[in-house]
Amino acid sequence: MSTSIGLRLRNALDSDFAYLFLRSPVAVLSAFVVIVLVLAAIFAPLISPQDPFNPIELNLMNGFTPPGTPNAFTGESFWLGTDDQGRDVFSTILHGMRISLFVGVSAVSFALLLGVTLGLLAGYVGGWTDTIIMRVADVQLTFPAILVAMLIFGIAKGITPVEYRDQMAIWVLILAIGLSDWVQFARVVRGATLVEKGREYVQAAQLIGRRPGAIMLRHILPNVLSPVLVIATISLALAIIAEATLSFLGVGAPPTQPSLGTLIRIGQGFLFSGEWWILLFPSLTLLALALSVNLLGDWLRDALNPRLK
Amino acid sequence: MRQIGMATALCALMGTHAVAEEFKWAGTTDPQTLDPHAVNSAPVLGFLNNVYEGLVRRGKDMTIEPALATSWEPIGEGEGWRFKLREGVTFHDGAAFDAEDVQFSYERASGEAADTRSWFSPVASLEVVDPYTIDIKTNAPNPIFPDSIANWMIVDKGWAEANAAATPNKEEGNFATLNANGTGAFKVTAREPGLRTVLEPHDGWWGEAEHNITRAEFTPIQNPATAVAALLSGDVDFINPVPIQDAARLASNPDVNVIQGIEARVIMLGFGHEAAELKYTGDAGKPNPFQDAKVRQAVAHAVNVPAILQTIMRGNAEPASQLVSPAMRGYSEANAARPAYDVEAAKALLAEAGYPDGFSFGLKCPNNRYLNDEAVCQGVVSMLAQAGITAELDAMPVQNYWPELREDNFDMYLLGWSPGTFDAEHPLRFLASTPNAEKKLGSWNFGGYSNARIDEMLPIIQSEIDDTKRQAMLDEAAEILQDEMAYVPLYVQPLVWGVRSNVEMTQRPDNFFILRWVTVN
Repeated sequence: MSTSIGLRLRNALDSDFAYLFLRSPVAVLSAFVVIVLVLAAIFAPLISPQDPFNPIELNLMNGFTPPGTPNAFTGESFWLGTDDQGRDVFSTILHGMRISLFVGVSAVSFALLLGVTLGLLAGYVGGWTDTIIMRVADVQLTFPAILVAMLIFGIAKGITPVEYRDQMAIWVLILAIGLSDWVQFARVVRGATLVEKGREYVQAAQLIGRRPGAIMLRHILPNVLSPVLVIATISLALAIIAEATLSFLGVGAPPTQPSLGTLIRIGQGFLFSGEWWILLFPSLTLLALALSVNLLGDWLRDALNPRLK
Repeated sequence: MRQIGMATALCALMGTHAVAEEFKWAGTTDPQTLDPHAVNSAPVLGFLNNVYEGLVRRGKDMTIEPALATSWEPIGEGEGWRFKLREGVTFHDGAAFDAEDVQFSYERASGEAADTRSWFSPVASLEVVDPYTIDIKTNAPNPIFPDSIANWMIVDKGWAEANAAATPNKEEGNFATLNANGTGAFKVTAREPGLRTVLEPHDGWWGEAEHNITRAEFTPIQNPATAVAALLSGDVDFINPVPIQDAARLASNPDVNVIQGIEARVIMLGFGHEAAELKYTGDAGKPNPFQDAKVRQAVAHAVNVPAILQTIMRGNAEPASQLVSPAMRGYSEANAARPAYDVEAAKALLAEAGYPDGFSFGLKCPNNRYLNDEAVCQGVVSMLAQAGITAELDAMPVQNYWPELREDNFDMYLLGWSPGTFDAEHPLRFLASTPNAEKKLGSWNFGGYSNARIDEMLPIIQSEIDDTKRQAMLDEAAEILQDEMAYVPLYVQPLVWGVRSNVEMTQRPDNFFILRWVTVN
């Protein structure tokens, strides 16, 4: 057993993929940043010095402490400073990143599931199914994704009762971003499915009488997954930015569960008054996160594209 | 040649300067309605003071001066007041103003549907003597009555009836919500709720214009940083309020002046007194702890007001001990001390009241009504948590906030109160009297606080002419409210206006922005 895992690992490290990865400093660096940020987000409750959303731990007198200097009243010192409520900016960033990543990953997973299913159906079944699915996709493509997300968010907010709005906000956000993003997956998968459908292995599977569902899932899906992986990575960066945009506009994550976008919105209020750290550090974190995920996606696209080799 | 060109350019510049004086201003809150009787709140009344007028108005120093009435005198032995009305006044649509309009506006503003009806609780009846004389009879001698009606604005009877707006409609709105027809110095020429409202001078105004404005445009800008940026770039000439954190930086900019003062407004926490049960959080349905004065006192001890003033208000506000600020008439010097910040005392009081392990409840808060209102509420939440009680904060824009309060959807809430009469009797009538629609009392007493002694004293205070006796009763009322901690007064809100340095204006302590005192140089 252990030798087989060892063997697999060795095979993986010997593969072209790993070779290309290790030879690209950009890929290594961005993967490193992504891993550090994701780990920091996952273990935020353990590593953040303060739980910024537990009011008992906050002291208003710590408000507006600049980074690294002790507070004039309490003498406490904070690595990245504090906001107006005396919350440690470092802790709010860790917790905010958790929400940003959670929303991003969930929204992309949702979009992926929806887009791949519809794309496979459209490509394999064809006919009316194809026409309807792809025309809906075309119509949706004519609207900017962020507008679609805002529309869905607005409708969902309108129909949820006021008491549940804050609790629902995160799920509505995932739904809104996911629904605005499935089209790319559907288009790519449909295209690839159309190509694969004519191949001999699919005809062979049809001849031995496998059911269409099994053919789509077992035979075609594995062969169309590599472009999906690329899109998913790039979509993740876009979803994180979309979430931040919505939250920045005040329609996303509520102040009780602030994401990076919400933190940037809050920090923007102190832009003119000299408390730059409340705005700067969440913004830099968002930049680092989105940029490294995006660079990783770019590299993945090049690495998985046979034509560029 | 070049010199001539320069001179022409200069002429052109000066020419446009003298012809069109466009003035643009921005505020956090759009007036909810243009109906002067539908919502009794400062953003609405302050804005409409430029469009509508009352029988009397307040001058730059807040003194009462004639407006639609030219003179007034008491009738008999405190039976009421006789007002002589101004002749030759026209509404914006050209209709003439007379006693009929005053009578109509009285019925409209004191009716069941009007939010302003508490103003008329001392009034027994209004009688038209002749087209330019009216008598207002009061239930009891009322020496400060003319002071109390500066915001009672006169609406044209014919206009309101012709447009099916004879009664105000706060919830659904009617013609008067979006249109205005007053006698004031400015008329509304365009109204897009939430976007912009355009005012232009009323040519037929009876008064002497002090301003030099030909067109004024109001835009609500909710984000404070955006408003500051708009002021700095010259997109707007005036913003109210300046975010308190930006006052120092704006003041150092030569293009902008910061006008600072102390507002008449006291910011306080209110409670659900009447509700038998808590309405929010995991403890919803359990008996309401705020019915116990000890719990309310514990809240007062738990809130660290100096810390709020130090950080969130940046040292720009004064702590408050009662429902009015020291600058108001009838302020109680004897009750000037506010409960000290003392977490241990708060915990002891909670234990005494039977809540040694605390409880949780819902706190409602506006997020665009008062300076840094949401930040103050967040601070209050963390301070209460340190005393062992957990508040779940729900902050919302003011358009949703007042309806929530009116429907009693709170356990505790934040309120700011500025007495329109500049007198300590005003909050007693609106906030401390047992709510009574028929007597027009307690119309902003959302929690339903009730104290027999205060109800008993209020009419006596209203009719007492002897200042010493009146003050003794106001002192007693302030003491009762402080002992029972009916409200927890926090601080007196500062006024911070930002204006381009080429504009002159007057700041009034009630935070009303009066357009006819603006000069653009």
